[in-house]
Amino acid sequence: MADENPVKVNYLDALTAGLWRENPTFRLLIGMCPPLAVTTAVKPALTMGLSVIFVLVCSNIAISLMRKLLKPHLRIIMFTLSIAAFVTICDLYLRAFAPLMSEILGAYVPLIIVNCIIIFRAEACASKNNVWFSILDGIGSGTGFTIALCIIAGIREILASGTFAGIAVMPRGFVPWAAMQMPVGAFVLLGLLLGLSSLLTAKRTN
Amino acid sequence: MDRAYILIMGFLSVVIVNNFVFTKFLGTCPYLGVSGRLDTAFGMGLAVTFVTALSGILTWLIDFYVLVPLGLQITRYICYIVVIAGAVQLVEMYVKKFFPPLYKSFGIFLPLISTNCVILGLCLFINIWGTDNLLEVAVLSTGTGFGFAVAICIMAAIRENLIMVDVPESLKGAPITLITAGLLTLAFMGFTGMIK
Amino acid sequence: MFNKVKYFIEQSWLLLVTSFLFGLLIAVADAAWSAKVEQNKAEKLRGLMASLISDANSFEIAIPAAQIPSDKGPVKTDIYKAFDAQGKCIGFAFIVVGTGFADKIELVVAVDARCEKLFGFNVLSSNETPGFGDKMKNASFSSQFKGAPAGKLSLIKIGDSGKIDDEIVAISGATVTSTAVINIFNRSVISVKKQLQEKGLLTNNGG
Repeated sequence: MADENPVKVNYLDALTAGLWRENPTFRLLIGMCPPLAVTTAVKPALTMGLSVIFVLVCSNIAISLMRKLLKPHLRIIMFTLSIAAFVTICDLYLRAFAPLMSEILGAYVPLIIVNCIIIFRAEACASKNNVWFSILDGIGSGTGFTIALCIIAGIREILASGTFAGIAVMPRGFVPWAAMQMPVGAFVLLGLLLGLSSLLTAKRTN
Repeated sequence: MDRAYILIMGFLSVVIVNNFVFTKFLGTCPYLGVSGRLDTAFGMGLAVTFVTALSGILTWLIDFYVLVPLGLQITRYICYIVVIAGAVQLVEMYVKKFFPPLYKSFGIFLPLISTNCVILGLCLFINIWGTDNLLEVAVLSTGTGFGFAVAICIMAAIRENLIMVDVPESLKGAPITLITAGLLTLAFMGFTGMIK
Repeated sequence: MFNKVKYFIEQSWLLLVTSFLFGLLIAVADAAWSAKVEQNKAEKLRGLMASLISDANSFEIAIPAAQIPSDKGPVKTDIYKAFDAQGKCIGFAFIVVGTGFADKIELVVAVDARCEKLFGFNVLSSNETPGFGDKMKNASFSSQFKGAPAGKLSLIKIGDSGKIDDEIVAISGATVTSTAVINIFNRSVISVKKQLQEKGLLTNNGG
């Protein structure tokens, strides 16, 4: 396509940007509900992350395909419609093939619809770029989000129950931190991690 | 009497005990983003309360009278989000036309609201709770929006004072807000068990 | 008039076409997977009932859509009858709902064939933040119900959780959840017993 930048480096960039430089959770601070809500254990967090990757990639493809036909005032409704459709499919899939995870995640699966990451990527990337670029961007951002979820969930699960993805890792006699399972643990831990991330960024720029 | 008791308890429950921000982590984005100043936080809270009440009632009606009888529950999420987006648009147009000063003060938040998880979250939870009469739905939806307004106003009031505090450089902004929110959830946990 | 329709179609054809396509997509997904979803649900209920009544071999519905009281009025649910390998009735199981003012817990409860002793309970679904519902599954708490009398239970804060009687020791740090579970039991079990008696379904091992 003539109107897009065909430089190859850009494609690699699209894939890696979401991992750290534009990490949705740690750097852009968007889509903050799941990192707090579904991170009591690693498995649900991973399931959530994969669902978000699926929805993000699919909706990026759909929106990228229709980007030349979009009318300005109907843009947002088209975005939401595609996202909601893919989330419904994802929810059905989870209920059919991962009933346990679907139950743990509960209402947080349909809440992917209003996850700012997806609509943000649709607006900032998919509605301006071609399909391949949008797919890579979706995978990149989604993976960044999943990694963030898993880091938080890993720390919380280890401290709250002494296990990682269900496997005991802490020595015997470890006293679980009940607070990590509660909302307070989620908020404070995410706050500290954000502080850490801004500390790292500040160091790098100096 | 019994009915009134259920309604009052339900309202208090979603405002204080089961506050969506503190127990279900919904609406965290605007909670971090728009809680810098008390007046904007108040505007946001009001706008959310209004839209939540409206869309909670509308989605329940659609669910109860259209989707369930026709067996179309599978399209529930799409219907909900379209209703919410529509309600936001409607409120925006209405306020713009009839209350220009009000539009100036919280009009800018309205487009943001359609991606506020509190609203969709409430519509989904109303369904999960199995609430079965309109009055209760109305009370619970208003209460949820109100709970969000309370949470964001408390946070804004705290943050206005945080400006004068010497916070470590790397914790400024969102991190300290999250930590403060964590401590607030602890305070709100004191209410658990007062009402189920 | 015609112009208006033309304008409308011009503006919204994309919306209409994509809605149709997405609708089709969802319909296909639903047709492919909904049977599996239903099967998962049935299997889960069966699995939970079987884990409570260890010798159970098969289940059938004894009283369909029985009315069981909850704090917000009666809720309809099926009462299942459990049979062992010889086809003898060894117990009953049913789903009970605890609805709060903005909350809902569903438990599966099992009682023995004479409805005198409890087999215990299992959590079917709890509408709580991920991780919280697990407390009810706490073994030292739930094991106290196994063999407890099917009557009125009371909650105590300190006591011997190994002793099986009508006093249940609360989960430390989760008194609210423990109270909710006890309340669900107290409300439902006696009512179920009465309904089973009325239908003459209880086994009388008089001889």
